[in-house]
Amino acid sequence: MDLLFLFEWIDTSMLAELSKAYGGVFAVVQTFHLGAMVLLGGMILVGDLRLLNIVMADVPAHVVLKNTERWVGYALIVVIFSGIFMMSAVAIKLYYNMFFLSKMVGLFMGVSFFYFIRKPLLNTDHSDLSPWSIKIVAIASILIWFSVAASGRWIGFS
Amino acid sequence: MLNQLLFDLALWLDAQQWSTDLHESYYVYNWVESTHVLTLMIFLGMLVVIDLRMLGYIFKDVPVSKVAERLDKPMMFGFSVMFVTGFLLYYAIPVRTTTSIWFRIKVVLLIAAGINALLLRNITKQENLSWDNDPVPPKRIRISAGLSIAFWAGVIMTGRMIAYDWWDCHKAMPGFMYWAAGCVNELAELD
Repeated sequence: MDLLFLFEWIDTSMLAELSKAYGGVFAVVQTFHLGAMVLLGGMILVGDLRLLNIVMADVPAHVVLKNTERWVGYALIVVIFSGIFMMSAVAIKLYYNMFFLSKMVGLFMGVSFFYFIRKPLLNTDHSDLSPWSIKIVAIASILIWFSVAASGRWIGFS
Repeated sequence: MLNQLLFDLALWLDAQQWSTDLHESYYVYNWVESTHVLTLMIFLGMLVVIDLRMLGYIFKDVPVSKVAERLDKPMMFGFSVMFVTGFLLYYAIPVRTTTSIWFRIKVVLLIAAGINALLLRNITKQENLSWDNDPVPPKRIRISAGLSIAFWAGVIMTGRMIAYDWWDCHKAMPGFMYWAAGCVNELAELD
């Protein structure tokens, strides 16, 4: 399915007019995007490193996950909204950018993995799960979010 | 005086072949920059968790000292890599970076964040941490944690702004801005 029409629509929207006309606003929104990525990355990483027994090994995993999951949600909201604003400034260019596509696929995978696999799976009693499955979930989560962050950074270089 | 010293140092670094090579290498430079941003997530991600605990927003049922101690190693690992890659980024483009007003504000904020972290560490070491298990720590701890988040948010913002050339030395600016940014040649022309 060709999504060019969607990018063309965003490119001519009021949001795009704002993001293209005011470089300062764009830069501030970009800062929020980066800040939210830091929050998202930190919360995901603390949870995943706990599942790998690397940090906070003496705090029950479900306590760590319960505390971090809420903040992942907050960070995702800021990341997505600020991301849409930033995207509107260069929508057509991004349509043809492979790193942007890679980031979007990664983001979709990351959000789906978080809400439909990691969260429901780890909300059950961990003693019912094989320690290896828990570790695989944590490694997969780190790799997915690493790909999102890395491809996001490389959009700027391409 | 200080501006001239920093500018001369930047010129000396800029004259080195390695600086040019690093700047001109598409993959090495971009990977250094990517690593800088990614380790920012490790360092600041851990720091934010500690600060949010000190603000009483997260891990309310886990002692503050436990959260801080357990996240200290990955946080310092992230900081070390971020520091080295940050220096390499400076080394690759020393003159423009030295004369960037954003970079200068970033360094000031980094120093402020460092002093705040040292003070916070001293407070937590001096006291017997009677509030360690409190869901919401005392006000002075919360203020310090809030300042920490504010300083580091400023570091992220100014770090990102370095890429923009709004107030680069070649732009027309008031004399004060030339001084603040360390635009030595432009200041000399004004005199």
